[in-house]
Amino acid sequence: MPEFGSGTYYFKAMLSAIPGPDRLAELFRYRELVYNLVARDLKVRYKNSVIGVFWSLLNPLAMSAIFTFVFTVLMPSGLPNYALYVLIGLLAWNWTVGAVVGGAQSIVAHGPLVKKVYFPTEVLPISTVLSNLINFGFALVPLFGLMLALGQVPGPQLVLLPLAILTQLIFLSGLALAASALNVPFRDTAAVLDVLMLGWFFLTPVFYRVEDLAGGWSRLMYIVNPLASIIANYRVLLYYNTWPDPLFMLRTLAQAILVLAAGYLVFSLLRDRLPEEV
Amino acid sequence: MDAVTCEGVSKRFILRPDRPRSFQEALIGLFRRRHQNSARRVEFWALRDVSFAVRAGTAFGIVGENGSGKSTLLKVIARILKPTSGTVRVNGRVTALLELGAGFHPELTGRENIYLYGSILGLKRREINARLDDIIQFAELEQFIDTPVKHYSSGMLVRLGFAVAVHLDPDILITDEVLAVGDEAFQHKCLDKIYEFARAGRTIIMVSHDLNLARQLCDEVLWLDRGQVRALGDPVSVTRAYLDWSNEKAFRRGAPAEAAPNRRWGTFEVEVTGVEFLDRDGNPTWFFATGDPVTIRLHYRAHRRINRPVFGVGIHLGESVHITGPNTRFAGLEIPFIEGDGAVEYRVRELNLTRGVYLVSVAVSDHSLTHLYDYHDRLYRLEVRSRPGREAFGPVYLPAEWRHLNGVAGSIRPLPGYRPAPPPSPGRQPG
Repeated sequence: MPEFGSGTYYFKAMLSAIPGPDRLAELFRYRELVYNLVARDLKVRYKNSVIGVFWSLLNPLAMSAIFTFVFTVLMPSGLPNYALYVLIGLLAWNWTVGAVVGGAQSIVAHGPLVKKVYFPTEVLPISTVLSNLINFGFALVPLFGLMLALGQVPGPQLVLLPLAILTQLIFLSGLALAASALNVPFRDTAAVLDVLMLGWFFLTPVFYRVEDLAGGWSRLMYIVNPLASIIANYRVLLYYNTWPDPLFMLRTLAQAILVLAAGYLVFSLLRDRLPEEV
Repeated sequence: MDAVTCEGVSKRFILRPDRPRSFQEALIGLFRRRHQNSARRVEFWALRDVSFAVRAGTAFGIVGENGSGKSTLLKVIARILKPTSGTVRVNGRVTALLELGAGFHPELTGRENIYLYGSILGLKRREINARLDDIIQFAELEQFIDTPVKHYSSGMLVRLGFAVAVHLDPDILITDEVLAVGDEAFQHKCLDKIYEFARAGRTIIMVSHDLNLARQLCDEVLWLDRGQVRALGDPVSVTRAYLDWSNEKAFRRGAPAEAAPNRRWGTFEVEVTGVEFLDRDGNPTWFFATGDPVTIRLHYRAHRRINRPVFGVGIHLGESVHITGPNTRFAGLEIPFIEGDGAVEYRVRELNLTRGVYLVSVAVSDHSLTHLYDYHDRLYRLEVRSRPGREAFGPVYLPAEWRHLNGVAGSIRPLPGYRPAPPPSPGRQPG
């Protein structure tokens, strides 16, 4: 046994924390729980209000109306169909916020359960990401409505949309896993996240074009901020209506997988402490 | 075959008072640590070298004081906690009833919660479908099953939680005195279910403060003392030894007011800061006479806003007889929220206790009665003396009156009255 606190100790701890196939198989066995947790989130959100879905769509629609006003009337950006351009960014961003901020709370909010019942804790952040995915799916309806209203008929590139969504799903799962576990020993994770998310929003091309801001540094920005690449994927498919660069899409996917691996490792390192400290 | 084997299981909790609890503290710590090396670590061994085996199809009881490691042991067997050293081997599907209905969501209906809670416990949808009617029937909630559980009483919630859990069909059932909740009829039903489990050849591992239950149900009993095995074996002799030891300890301790810290537990967001017994003039005392008015006043301090707390009082005779356990929720007193300091009074118009020394517990919990903020287990002492000519047999008297019916003939209907057995014939009188 290497000495506590030494580099070897942490390295060995890290190796032993890597989830093995049995852990993943168990997680798969609990898929029904994930399904039920997602169903619960949606039921609770939309229960008692027939217009619940409408409320969840109001935010991105109102935001995109505001941005459209600012960037076509007050300081024109020069982008045609700006409303569509910004709505795509906002929907991807809202899913990100819901998944990361909600994911951070997911384990702490289920404290009594984690303390008293055995189940793979991963299902909590994962189901948060998935229930926000469903909301993202709902929001695609007005998005397609807007496309049609602007005379943009989606082309055959649409077959790649599921891959773009899967990429974001993988990326957000990694972030939510890490945030959910970190929030247990560090209870101010939520406060730190507030600031980080605000900064991230402005550093992500939600309401502007990367190329306008970063110029020659665009490529670096896409690599440093995977969300920029994820949004770029959506825009190629839904706004520019063209076939994407396959290398760009695959690189984004590879990055998302790396983020998931890193996030799951952070989670796994803290996993044994969760029932004790939550 | 053994259903569960524990070999040299130890569990260490490391309490680091200096450990940063937030990024903010971690950041401040970066600057501070240069000046002072403050790596204080308090180790606490909740379990130490515990070894035992539970044969498949037997009932295994765990007894011990509060804080002796019983719950930790159950959590280790249930895989919730990972032992620091040693191994736990489990053969078969385990269900741990450590908290009933922990996963219930108030906005969902009873039926929806059955599916949710069932899947938390690892059940598949079709397995729940097959058991759904039995679960609803067992919980006695046929009428309310499609009502959101926020409208349920705490008793209904507990019934639903237990019903789901016992219909899981586990090979090994782990339970932690959750049966001490719910009304008496339902408690019996739960016990019946547990006996049924035992008869069906399932393995049961249970923590119990009820030594009679442990003796009746268990094939083997483990006595844990400060995380170590004190005795293991035949239920009668182990519970006997435990009882003797704990009686002797209580005797040596003298006044329970100076009790050990393990008589108090909770999460302490609300603390009961003091308890007073007031006489009819509002003066604090701990001597009362049978029939006196008594006010038990609990002073509390809520460190943050707590919504819908429930305050409770328990009166005990000695260590084993729990006489009464009223609380504000049962009485219908809804306290919307508390914050800061305050007090709650439990006023007894007439103390129906006869002569003796009674121990009083106080507690404050959340609205579901499952999350305890502060629990003082029999920490206070109340002495009652009798009044000349008043009742003196048994610990309580019921407010009642006697009536003499002169000349009523002895025709007793078969039910609900009882006919006594005929007196023994004069020739066969004993002695």
